[in-house]
Amino acid sequence: MVSSQPSSTQLMDAYLERRPNLVRFFAARLGSVASAEDLTQDLYLKISAYEQSAEVDRPMALLYRIAANLMLDRLRHERRSILRDEEWHRILRTRLGEEDVDEAPAADDALGARQRLTQLMCALEALPPRMREAFTLHKLEGHSHAETARAMSISISAVEKHISGAMRHLLHWGS
Amino acid sequence: MTDQTNDMTVPGSAIQEAALSWVLRLSRSTVGERDWIEFNAWLDAAEARRQAYDQAINLWSDYQAVASAPKVSRPARTWRRALGPGIAVAASVLVVLAATDAFAPTQVLTTQKGETRSFRLQDGTRIDLNASSSLKVKLGWRTRQVAMSDAEAVFDVAKDSRRPFVITAGDEKIRVVGTRFNVRRRDGVQSVTVERGRVEVASADHKTRVALIPGQRLDHHEGMGTAQVRAFDPEVAMSWRSGRLIYRNEPLSNVAADLTRLSGPTVRLADARTGDLTFSGVISAKDSQSGARVLGLLAPITVQETPSGLLLRRN
Repeated sequence: MVSSQPSSTQLMDAYLERRPNLVRFFAARLGSVASAEDLTQDLYLKISAYEQSAEVDRPMALLYRIAANLMLDRLRHERRSILRDEEWHRILRTRLGEEDVDEAPAADDALGARQRLTQLMCALEALPPRMREAFTLHKLEGHSHAETARAMSISISAVEKHISGAMRHLLHWGS
Repeated sequence: MTDQTNDMTVPGSAIQEAALSWVLRLSRSTVGERDWIEFNAWLDAAEARRQAYDQAINLWSDYQAVASAPKVSRPARTWRRALGPGIAVAASVLVVLAATDAFAPTQVLTTQKGETRSFRLQDGTRIDLNASSSLKVKLGWRTRQVAMSDAEAVFDVAKDSRRPFVITAGDEKIRVVGTRFNVRRRDGVQSVTVERGRVEVASADHKTRVALIPGQRLDHHEGMGTAQVRAFDPEVAMSWRSGRLIYRNEPLSNVAADLTRLSGPTVRLADARTGDLTFSGVISAKDSQSGARVLGLLAPITVQETPSGLLLRRN
């Protein structure tokens, strides 16, 4: 009798195949690609340790459940603002500590970076007021859609409209 | 209501709209397994979707970095703070840059000895790569970057004024918008020859900067502070693509190096005396053997076969 592949391999295969999409997926909820990368790294450790004999029916689904639990842990145990501050400092350190020869030289980076920040800020300033308010409350201050809706006395779907409208503007502006 | 009218003032493609909907949908606290499955199905269907989503999520992430800047809550305040200490701004936005191109994969294009190949990049840029060459390509959202090690290539850069195309070849940077030109980095010498459009070449430290126009060629010895610009027929510079090597007063060492990159035995110079020679003429050759034979007929040299390759010796 031919034994089926070890389940942990299936799970790992699913992980490796889906890694970019996992980052994409969780970046939306966590709000940052860097946090999603972290989460995906934690997920890898979890999966490496996963019991070989465990029966895996739908690896994609299991992958999601493990990842979603990790995400909830992150969101539950650290307030978002604190998380973001920590993330900020962490990235700042790693980023400044490393050297990537293929990137543009530092002087150019700094110039480009300054322009980029200016660009992000100008784009934000240029938004229609209500749209900017919704985007700022939700994205920059970390309030949920529902909280933002309450603060602005509008419906949740109106908040979402504002935010997607803002993103559309910002994408257009940044391009 | 006015907000919604404003909504419509910015046009977006259908794919971009869908990508934005996904970012919104996935940022809800109610996001679940079904979203995950459907999201994968949506992404898997087309590369354009992945690109559109990545662009949106990168922007989403950029603003997180802005929000994460310590003690910033309002954009208006951020603005003033940001313009305060310059160093802080520079440092903070490195993060933004890092996050923004996080998804842009690095592609490595290489050719073997004797092999020339054409590559078409996602943005429509075409790169014809000469033999024994290697390039790294990274198409980011804001810049398109190429890092050139030992290589020669003709770039036909797709026009995209929002994303400059920057080629780094040693201590030289070449910046273009949409144009066609040849770049060569071999043996410590970088050359850029322009056929169409405008090409800006700068030293890596940005202290020197030259704008080249069609029919001009720039030569620069790596590590030196100077570069020479002269009139040069782009057809000659790009002739290698048609399997012809065209030279005008070219040091013989360069000719030997070019021949060696063809298939067949290595071509070397016997001594410095031979290296002093320059060569003008056209060599049409499939391999180094026949190329060296033609060179032997046109230049005052003798070609000698040795176990380690072909040796060129001045008569």
